[in-house]
Amino acid sequence: MPGTKPIPATSGVFTDGRQAPKSIKVSKLNHYFGEGELRKQALYDNNLEVKRGEIVIMTGPSGSGKTTLLTLIGTLRTVQEGSLKVLGQELHGATRDDVVRLRRELGFIFQAHNLFESLTAYQNVNMAAELAGMDRKVANDRIEYLLARLGLGHRIHYKPKSLSGGQKQRVAIARGLVHQPKLVLADEPTAALDEKSGREVVTLFQELARDEGCTIVMVTHDNRILDVADRIVNMVDGRIRSDVAVHETSVICEFLRQFPLFADLQTSTLSEVADKMMVEDAEPGDVVIRQGDPGELFYLIRSGHVDVIVEHDGDKKKVAELGEGQYFGEAALLRDEPRNATIVARSKCVFYTLGKADFKDVLARSKSFVEELRTVLASRT
Amino acid sequence: MPLITRTPLAWKNLTHDWRRLAVAVAGIGFAVLLMFTQVGFQNALFDSQVKLIDDLEGDVFLVSRAKYTLAAEKRFPIELINQARACPGVLDAFPLYSELTLSRLKNLQQGSSRKAYPIRSIGFHLEDQILRSPEIKAQLPKLRASNTALIDVRSKPENFDFPLEDPQALAAAPAELADRRVTLVGTFDMGADFAHDGNLVMSAENFANYFPQRQAFGDPLAVVDLGIVRVQGGADADAVRDTIDQIVDDQVFVFTRSQFRNQEIKFWDDSTPIGIVFNAGKIIGFVVGMVICYQVIYSDIADHMPEFATLKAMGYSAGYFLRLIVAEALLLSIIGYVPGLAVSAALYGVLADATGLLLRMTPQSMALVLGLTIAMCIASGLLAVRKLLAADPASLF
Repeated sequence: MPGTKPIPATSGVFTDGRQAPKSIKVSKLNHYFGEGELRKQALYDNNLEVKRGEIVIMTGPSGSGKTTLLTLIGTLRTVQEGSLKVLGQELHGATRDDVVRLRRELGFIFQAHNLFESLTAYQNVNMAAELAGMDRKVANDRIEYLLARLGLGHRIHYKPKSLSGGQKQRVAIARGLVHQPKLVLADEPTAALDEKSGREVVTLFQELARDEGCTIVMVTHDNRILDVADRIVNMVDGRIRSDVAVHETSVICEFLRQFPLFADLQTSTLSEVADKMMVEDAEPGDVVIRQGDPGELFYLIRSGHVDVIVEHDGDKKKVAELGEGQYFGEAALLRDEPRNATIVARSKCVFYTLGKADFKDVLARSKSFVEELRTVLASRT
Repeated sequence: MPLITRTPLAWKNLTHDWRRLAVAVAGIGFAVLLMFTQVGFQNALFDSQVKLIDDLEGDVFLVSRAKYTLAAEKRFPIELINQARACPGVLDAFPLYSELTLSRLKNLQQGSSRKAYPIRSIGFHLEDQILRSPEIKAQLPKLRASNTALIDVRSKPENFDFPLEDPQALAAAPAELADRRVTLVGTFDMGADFAHDGNLVMSAENFANYFPQRQAFGDPLAVVDLGIVRVQGGADADAVRDTIDQIVDDQVFVFTRSQFRNQEIKFWDDSTPIGIVFNAGKIIGFVVGMVICYQVIYSDIADHMPEFATLKAMGYSAGYFLRLIVAEALLLSIIGYVPGLAVSAALYGVLADATGLLLRMTPQSMALVLGLTIAMCIASGLLAVRKLLAADPASLF
């Protein structure tokens, strides 16, 4: 795709097609704190897309900017540079009214519960339902459902003073979810919870994501709940270091494992390889690589079919047809030779590509590289 | 009003901690009490300044243009009374004489200071319907005798130490008015004020005898201190006043009862330090209340900053917070006002007994103090709300 920035394979961009609705679209976002000489950049050229119904976990050391990014997405800070679209609303230059309107579509769960001591659990949750203008009956049912679901059914009318820390946190979670927000932003929502109730909370998140199309972005260091993430965004020093669609990564790893040279690699190494892969797409009839060209990329077919055509003495001959999960282009990289065949897309195709240097780097880490190399070469005459 | 149908957060926050509420109510109640004492004393003192006017019968009054207050001894010729009497709509017009500079009463009893102290002498023709007091009306025959007078029971006791409870002893007590013997044949109840330590009432004839120097030449009764006009039954006092004002010579102001009263109070309020002193007292009460109320609301906000910031993050608008704080201030003012009013009413009773001042809990003063209390609470709420509007939800993450 000349002219556009390459998209990482693990971003999952193509899994549901390009047009999947986006809850969050961050592009070229910079953010600064302080003024004048003390001005310090906190976010550097951040790009991120989150689809509707995705659960995204943001990780990274403290001070990496993940909280800043979360507050920007949550409209709690003003966008300074770049573009940030949340639920279709551009936040750069948004008016106060726009922001207040948008906030009512969001659900916030903070690390501290921030409940009013003067109100009961029910009333605290109801503060969010009232703001959303929910029908009383509907609101009542949902408050009771959520509190019961979070194990507080018998404490609905208790004041925070008579609740434990974990129970208060669960009331705060119910408050963040009661108005059926389209986007939930959570900061360490499970930090104050024991394993069982933490699990109950994330299961609830998954249900909301699946049944209500609710998008959930959470900052957490709680490794126990990483498995619910559809996508894990890792930030370091104000930059998004990796943005990985968990499911897509596992698909790529499975594909890569089928490649004999990579068969004995650890899953961690494979996911590193996956991280380095980029996305390319092709229309039917496009020539992906041409025989005789220098080899630069290793290709993995994510979807679609291609024809392998070998030209010998001016005679074009289709030698094979490759499909999803299969790969091509490795021979030229291994031998530093020109392409030995032409690949033409038969249908709309998506490829994941790995550069020559990265490819060789991975191979060097494979213990059985030499043997494998021989096997590969032997099996591909 | 969303405050009723929705979660009553203002009320809940206010009443959640009863200790804090008790302190708040005590503080605001104290401010209410302060304001009530000021308003009460001011009204009482102004009422005493105009007590003479209130005690007079009559609908329209004539006073010299130079007489800026009742205590100023500026007079006008009696002919003007006659002019007024002749005006259409007028039933009758009477002169009232009063004297302070020449009027000095000396107590000659055993053991008293034997010094002469100024006292206001009020003289009138006994057949004229001028003074409302039934006590005076009942004692009119006694005043027909020469060298007699009635003494106000509220005259300053340090200066006029007469046996007021015992009519016989009083009548026997030796006394001199303007260096002439006077017999105090009875008492009446009018009240002292800032300018007058006491009052005597006597017939015009006796008055003329005691104070011949009122006029250097001629009849001392030819100059009048106050003209009292009664209008005919059914006639409109305002219209009659206008007529008199047109007809009677320009030397006098012509007032209706309420104009006269307001004019006198206005003098004491504006031109003497009294009004300033009491207004300062009210302002102090107001400020004290504001500080207390601000403290209560501010600490409520400060203690719940993260909660309010959370509401802000949820999408509650600035308008909501403004309404919330105004509601809280309004509730505070009413919760504080009620006990303040109760204590003030009780205090009025105690002070009225102790000082003899007319401390009355009138609807006007209740409304005034309620208005001030609400204003003070809302003003301090609006000052405190800035803190709330500055709550930064970004600090919550």
